[in-house]
Amino acid sequence: MKRRNLMKLPLAAAALSLTIGAGFAQDAEKVVIGVSIPSATHGFMGGLNWHAQDTIKRLGETYPNLEFVLATAPDVGKQVSDIEDMLATRNIDGLVVLPFESEPLTDPVKQVKAAGKFVTVVDRGLSEEGIEDLYVAGDNAAFGRVAGEYFRDNLKAGGKIVVLRGIPTTLDNERVEAFQAALEGSDKQILDMQYANWNRDDAFNVMQDYLAKYPEIDAVWAADDDMAVGVLEAIAQAGREDQMVVVGGAGMKDIIKRIMDKDPQLPVNVTYPPALISSAIEMTALNFVSNAPMTGRYIISSQLITPENAESFYFPDSPF
Amino acid sequence: MTVVLALEKVTKSFGPVEVLHGVDLALHTGEVHALIGENGAGKSTIMKILGGYLAPTTGRVLLDGAPVTYHSGPEGEAQGVVVIHQEFNLAADLTVAGNIFLGREITRGLGLDHAAMRAATAELLARLDTSIRPEALIRDLSVPDRQMVEIAKALSRKARVLIMDEPSAALTHREVEALYAQVDRLRAEGVALMFCSHRLDEVSRLADRITVLRDGSVVQRSLRGEMTEDGMAAAMVGRELTDIFPPKDTTTGETLLEVRGLNVQNLVKDVSLTLHKGEVLGIAGLVGSGRTELAEGIVGLRPATGEIRIGGRQVQIRSPRDARAAGLAYLTEDRKEAGLLLDKNLPVNLTLSALDMWGFRIDPKREKAEMTRARKEFDIRAASDEMRTGALSGGNQQKLLLAKTMLTGPEIVIIDEPTRGIDIGTKQQIYHFVRALARQGKAVIVISSELPEVIGLSDRVLVMRMGRIAGEVEGAAITEENIVRLAMGLDREEEPA
Amino acid sequence: MKRIDLHVWGPLIALIGLFILGALLNPAFLAPANLSNVLARSAFIGLIAIGMTFVITQGGLDLSVGSMAAFLAGITIMAMNALVPIVGESWGTILLGMGVALLGGIAAGYVNGALITKARIEAFIVTLGTMGIFRSLVTWLADGGTLSLDSGLRSIYRPVYFGGLGWLTWPIIVFAIAAVLGEWTMRHTRFGRHVEAIGSNDRVARYSAVDVERVRLATYVLLGVLVGVATILYVPRLGSASGSTGVLWELEAIAAVIIGGTALKGGRGRVWGTVVGVLILSMIDNILNLTDLVSPYLNGAIQGVIIVLAVVLQREKRTAE
Repeated sequence: MKRRNLMKLPLAAAALSLTIGAGFAQDAEKVVIGVSIPSATHGFMGGLNWHAQDTIKRLGETYPNLEFVLATAPDVGKQVSDIEDMLATRNIDGLVVLPFESEPLTDPVKQVKAAGKFVTVVDRGLSEEGIEDLYVAGDNAAFGRVAGEYFRDNLKAGGKIVVLRGIPTTLDNERVEAFQAALEGSDKQILDMQYANWNRDDAFNVMQDYLAKYPEIDAVWAADDDMAVGVLEAIAQAGREDQMVVVGGAGMKDIIKRIMDKDPQLPVNVTYPPALISSAIEMTALNFVSNAPMTGRYIISSQLITPENAESFYFPDSPF
Repeated sequence: MTVVLALEKVTKSFGPVEVLHGVDLALHTGEVHALIGENGAGKSTIMKILGGYLAPTTGRVLLDGAPVTYHSGPEGEAQGVVVIHQEFNLAADLTVAGNIFLGREITRGLGLDHAAMRAATAELLARLDTSIRPEALIRDLSVPDRQMVEIAKALSRKARVLIMDEPSAALTHREVEALYAQVDRLRAEGVALMFCSHRLDEVSRLADRITVLRDGSVVQRSLRGEMTEDGMAAAMVGRELTDIFPPKDTTTGETLLEVRGLNVQNLVKDVSLTLHKGEVLGIAGLVGSGRTELAEGIVGLRPATGEIRIGGRQVQIRSPRDARAAGLAYLTEDRKEAGLLLDKNLPVNLTLSALDMWGFRIDPKREKAEMTRARKEFDIRAASDEMRTGALSGGNQQKLLLAKTMLTGPEIVIIDEPTRGIDIGTKQQIYHFVRALARQGKAVIVISSELPEVIGLSDRVLVMRMGRIAGEVEGAAITEENIVRLAMGLDREEEPA
Repeated sequence: MKRIDLHVWGPLIALIGLFILGALLNPAFLAPANLSNVLARSAFIGLIAIGMTFVITQGGLDLSVGSMAAFLAGITIMAMNALVPIVGESWGTILLGMGVALLGGIAAGYVNGALITKARIEAFIVTLGTMGIFRSLVTWLADGGTLSLDSGLRSIYRPVYFGGLGWLTWPIIVFAIAAVLGEWTMRHTRFGRHVEAIGSNDRVARYSAVDVERVRLATYVLLGVLVGVATILYVPRLGSASGSTGVLWELEAIAAVIIGGTALKGGRGRVWGTVVGVLILSMIDNILNLTDLVSPYLNGAIQGVIIVLAVVLQREKRTAE
């Protein structure tokens, strides 16, 4: 339960409404909430899927009148179909959606809203403003900025950094631009930036090539902990563990564990918790079971995980 | 009786080979014209030239006395000259009505008038005395039903000239009667009809005029009643045998292969045969009589039921591998598609069937030695062992195929169409190879559409007709007339009732 | 007439050209450590592509190999972790795990082959189906996350990827042995000859008493075994498997086979060409990472151009005949 202290407002509401909701639930009509998210294609999404299922199970037990329809989609087309199906055949009252891409999902979600349903958008905004009732997102710019600021403040003068980017997307661009902006004007230098697709194997290959190319590297920013795992292995192969630090992101449990254990190679990490889907589903549920309307925008900023606070970000049960 | 469509001194060559030699032919209104001849005599070529599917090399095609202006089948149809081919020309996924009106659909506004087309189709089919539903899909119809649809389609085109290639081959007795009635009706309406048929009784029943074709030339023309069915057979054959065949000098030994009650997929029915050491057994019959299917059933290429004994011992042959293990080899009639890998070199083809007997590794020395031996023994002429097999001449391909078949060391060899599409010199070589096999004590079956070949090679001949053995001839009784009569089912009329 | 046959030698010339290009652009390219990395990385795709050469040569296709590798890696890791309490953190556990990978590969290949040859379903459809099945299974087994190997085992197992004879690490050695054996099998054995004959014209093969279905099935099983071997080398590298393991490996393997001069329609297989194809693909990646020649956005485009060029060369040969 520790991670949820990130979202004080909704949780306070949740606590408040628990009793109200329980009483309210007895005579209420069945409420159906659709949840549409990308399927678990990599570690972060895997964690997100796990949290989504976990939350649905928990809420389903607490509020018997809530029914959830979870659909995971491997691509945009499937996600659009999922949402259309939910509206047409499952008769949903609310929708929680983490859009694959903004543009193609905007119209289908708008249709849901037009049908008078409650809409919660998670993480990636739609390309048109004002459709959703509730917006819950991580802060991509902050994700890059926090890492950049850490390097700016802690790396030795003239420190050399290599970057492993994700898959070419707006999200990746926002992170990297903020990262660069944070370093701007400092004496730290970015040697290279290549795509490793948020994939361990690709990160391993790219890091091997960085190591062959640059005799001197002081720090690696792997914008995702899955990639950090591949990076660490490549560094170990080259026997250069003591020459550089690695900063990943999104708080994978193995990495957090090593930060807790004060691993010199892994001084810090940056949060972008997959649990944000939990908050979104919980707040949507509260909209139906409590009397308090849950609307607005909630941006969950990224934080720096250090050996001191790491324990509160450690979830041994999560697959991520 | 005026001439509608005529050929004038028409020749046709495919490459260097001339298959029609100056044919004159005339189709008259209100008359049925039968074109008969052996396989390969040129009947189909003539029909295709009449219908516009082929252009003559020299000579003219005249419609109403003027050179034809159509240059394709569809253009010919538009001018009232309709050909029904042996291979059906129907779209399997369309309905009967859809096929009959294909390309000239009845429309109403922008859409199709299905009701009108169905009604018209139903009327046509009723005239043919069939029970086919206009909305049935072609793919669901039996072969005779498809034939009837083809005929209905031609009728619907208001044909002035109707040309039919073996129209009754696939029909049942009842359907044949319906077809004959239609032919009579069309004749009365003044349509000029032409058909070719292997059923001489049908020719006698229908034809007002008969043209006999042999080797691309017209050898006889008769009017109704001038020629008996035996006379027709004799005219079709009429060829002398030359000494290109080796003497039948082998002695026949013990029984090697015995087949009892073999059935193959409804194409071969209850066939029994025996084959002896040192014997060449010919199997004759019309195309489609089940000869190839019989051979493929025996060697396990097609599912078959029945009993096969080799050397007195019963064997189960479910695949070509079983056949090979039993000492049985089959040389296919389809050299290019089933016999040889045309894009591979010579040794690969030579050894393909025998590799299983050689062990896992291919010994390059052994392969080379076998190739050298085969080239010598079978006189395979090639620029190099490494050349593409497809670049060999047909004759050399056939010799390579023979060498490949013999490399597994079979005791029984079934050779299907040993000389299809090869020149006379190579033919003679192959005939001597076949006889040499018999001399080595092997048992050989030769299947052929060329009667002189069957006669010149075989010690004994089985004649097939409609999937059954129609009869057997031996020694001096092996004559073309006897075989043709058996193949066409004429013998029964001579049997005492 | 004795003009160099581009169709045969083209891929090799391209590889040499790339090698020279890499050396000129960045001297680090020639460092033994870098070349060792490139070869070792090629080993996974390389082993799979050698098996794929046989499948494609007989006229088949297998789209499932990438997912199969992920699935095999997943069950291998789970099996090893489960064996730790019984057998202990020892080579015994690792050998048993390798056995699981190989047996799993045989079973997976057999399933593909049997559906294609016995149930007579198109290879494309069957392996498109199993591609999804294997991928989902590994995601399910990993609960959407990552399966990680027991850390004690990991440190024992690690040298299988990183160790070897100096720069010649085990993946390179295994890849080289598989390549030599593969080429020999294709050229000098009955099996290879039958594979080519079936791909050239399966009807001729059937009429020639070749057991077409069994040979076809055997190519899929062989491919499964090689995927198993690739898995054995893959697991010690990162010690983990997830839903994103082996994504698009099938297409890289197929591309390598085609670049190497094996015709996609079958009939002629060239294992050494496949090896060259694999090296070309991983060398392009390496060179693009080592230099700043083109935008990283365009990496895929460069590989695409090479694949299309390879096919164009094949076609020119055919029309010239």
